[in-house]
Amino acid sequence: MTATPYDAYKYATGEAIKHPLGFDMKLREPLDFYAVTDHGFYMGMIENYADTSSEMSKKEWTKPMHNINRPENVNVESLGERADLFSSVLSQAIVQPYPYWHPKLWKAWFTNNIQVALKSFDYDVHKSAWADVANAAEEFNDPGNFTTFIGYEFTTSTEVEGGNLHRNVIFNSSNAPIRPWTRIDSLNPEDLWTWMDSLRDKGVDSLAMPHNSNGSNGQMFEVETFRGNPISIEYAEKRMRNEPVVEMTQVKGTSDTHPLLSPDDEWADFEIMDKRVGSRPPTYSMPQGGYVRDAYLRGLTLDWEGRGNPYKFGLIGSSDTHTGAGGFDEDNYWSKAGVLDGTDMGRGSVPLTQDRIDMLNQYADLYNQPISIQEIDGRTYADVGFDQWSASGLAVAWAEENTRDSIFQAFKRKETFATTGTRMALRFFAGFDMESIDLDSEDMVKNAYAKGVTMGADLFSQDNQTPQFLVWAQRDKLGAPLQRVQIIKGWVESASGTPKEQIYDVACSDGLLVDPVTNRCPDNGARVNISDCSISNDVGAGELKTIWTDPDFDPTIKAFYYVRVLENPTCRWSTWDSIKAGVTPRPDLHQTIQERAWSSPIWYIPESGELNIIPL
Amino acid sequence: MNLRILVFFVIGLLIFLLDIGFNAEQDSKDIYISDQELTSLLSAWQSQVGRPPSDEEIVNIINNFVQEEILYREALLLDLDQEDRIIKRRLAQKITFLKQETIPNDPSQEEIKKFFEKNKNNYFIPPTYSFSHHYFSKESNAKERAAEAFDEYQTNGAELTGDPFFLGKNFYQNSEDEIKKNFGALFFLAIKNLAINEWSGPHESVFGEHIILLKEITTGFYPPLEKVLLRVQQDYLSEAQEKAIAEYINEIRSQYRVIINPDYKF
Repeated sequence: MTATPYDAYKYATGEAIKHPLGFDMKLREPLDFYAVTDHGFYMGMIENYADTSSEMSKKEWTKPMHNINRPENVNVESLGERADLFSSVLSQAIVQPYPYWHPKLWKAWFTNNIQVALKSFDYDVHKSAWADVANAAEEFNDPGNFTTFIGYEFTTSTEVEGGNLHRNVIFNSSNAPIRPWTRIDSLNPEDLWTWMDSLRDKGVDSLAMPHNSNGSNGQMFEVETFRGNPISIEYAEKRMRNEPVVEMTQVKGTSDTHPLLSPDDEWADFEIMDKRVGSRPPTYSMPQGGYVRDAYLRGLTLDWEGRGNPYKFGLIGSSDTHTGAGGFDEDNYWSKAGVLDGTDMGRGSVPLTQDRIDMLNQYADLYNQPISIQEIDGRTYADVGFDQWSASGLAVAWAEENTRDSIFQAFKRKETFATTGTRMALRFFAGFDMESIDLDSEDMVKNAYAKGVTMGADLFSQDNQTPQFLVWAQRDKLGAPLQRVQIIKGWVESASGTPKEQIYDVACSDGLLVDPVTNRCPDNGARVNISDCSISNDVGAGELKTIWTDPDFDPTIKAFYYVRVLENPTCRWSTWDSIKAGVTPRPDLHQTIQERAWSSPIWYIPESGELNIIPL
Repeated sequence: MNLRILVFFVIGLLIFLLDIGFNAEQDSKDIYISDQELTSLLSAWQSQVGRPPSDEEIVNIINNFVQEEILYREALLLDLDQEDRIIKRRLAQKITFLKQETIPNDPSQEEIKKFFEKNKNNYFIPPTYSFSHHYFSKESNAKERAAEAFDEYQTNGAELTGDPFFLGKNFYQNSEDEIKKNFGALFFLAIKNLAINEWSGPHESVFGEHIILLKEITTGFYPPLEKVLLRVQQDYLSEAQEKAIAEYINEIRSQYRVIINPDYKF
């Protein structure tokens, strides 16, 4: 059968669990914290679970009838579900409410009313999916060792054109609400925030984390509200109160930036998923308003217009797989949806055999869909968009201890960073006396905290001084060494209101120096052997640290600065797939990637400008 | 006499059928909303919104409920519940819950004890290591610097100091797994064989070189049942639940025949 929240937590603590196709999924190393966030509206079919004493419970499972044909449900994932021949044999065998001799079944036959039989099925059930999600989180929460959060996904979208506005909601306590607020209650995220505000008033703190903004068709970071009203300071405050962090990377692509948005960023073309989430047939997603860097710039622009900054968020990564287990390593990857993309052929990395082509043809007929295959260089591959998916990502928080409250508070103050699955470590500070810190002192971090602000925070100007930034990155001990550390700066020109961005390499591996004209590190010579995925092991850094000063600093202009750390290149999962299958890699896909981490930004705020500080 | 029994039987059957007939009529087109149902609808609303609904809102809530009920029944009449993966899964989940509920919540002392003895290894508390280290980054000739610092310390009693390490200097009661996670397997191999309270090094890890002071080793042990009772109870229960479901499926499964087209190409 399919994975339960319990399975997902077991997986996070390092146990192996079964993929729907039967193979074992196991993490290379266990995780420290985890939240299982199932689609809330599936769970919505079991409203009022706490009221099992009432007659209400017998209507519990009726909701999916209403949802089943909404566009949200007619997507790749449900196609995967429908195509799942094997497990259906088993579940059919269990749905047999009563033995044939039972009077209730006779009654149902006599009256030709199937309700009778099903009604009788409605027993005093004490559990439901939402309660089960909460129970699983409670059961696995082990302060000091392994932290869990009760959470769910608010799976909403715009009313037209299917702009994905999904959010994961997590609670900072065991007192989860009686049921999650879902798209059935309202499609408008502002209503979700109202609900979260009201819960917070009652002492139940929560936060919502937008995800897959890349597939939102530009709707996630719009310059107007869900209803099309202009953004106001109140909106910005409400959004930031409830959504302090945003997902940067996950299995369905990375949302840093898009080559069209950042033409001068050589690393922008990274794990781009250019389709709207769940669109059938696959539909292009507009990049503007869908990517994080663009959102930061939009936030500054809105702020410049005096309407507050609703996009002053920190960064995390997450898995968002549907198999209960996130795949974070390129050589240990099973994609997302389960049966349909659990094989190399299914996810488009290896050519299809003739019987698989026939099978896809059958599906196409059965579900009245266009046939999803494509010819590349004379070979036939599945064309279902899975080739754009990634073995990504992880969220990291700087917390005092591994407990629910400590990590939750780190999220709230945005002291977080995101990685593409690598276990890189990253520190980022800014201040006006960073230069006095000895980078080689064992007290370096303590001094940095004392003398500056850290990732996610605001740095207020001091007498027009120029700030210094301290960055420190450490490699994943099992991954590739580091290649370079970059600082990405964005600002709005004060006269014209034009958003600008600039990328500075600030530390290079192998003792190389940044070219002051191009702001780039020289090539460190790291290469990948595509025939076996081995990498150069004599270049790259175990750690990189530096203190950096912005050469173009203007003390009167608001700006954000965030760090991007790049590893040496390694094989992408699709290349690993082709090597394991003994075929040449698909030529139109990236054969290598550079795993990376992004810090939450530090915002520089000049005193002179009209101060608009959001208390967070 | 036999005839009499037959007459009573026939009368009984008639009453039964009539009852079914009348009820059927009611069941199919009456929507009966019980007091409990109303209470639960209204309290659910209140728990969401934070205040009791107004009269107008009550009408809306009930209308929505009725509309849903009508659509639901009409959908059932059209057999829309058939061959629906989500409904199937939900029903399968419900019967799973039912079977789980049949497990007694408070197993006897005896059973718990037996379970604990059998699964003792699951509750083993592994040995831990408390240590401090000075780190020398691979980026700047770790080996020489570490060896030099250690030599200075040994011969001249110079203070040991190294580079900053991401996770800090001091580690208290870390298990083998934690050490391997933070430093890698190589580092653990080194620490395992160190003498207590004696600086030693340099030892290699993937990050560079380390000079290590092992302060304390706690030996691993099997805790007494009282110490882990809650966990054992939970584990007992979840195992019993899994067993109950597996047994139930096994038992029922023999009554089903699975028919698959033998010519189907998998």
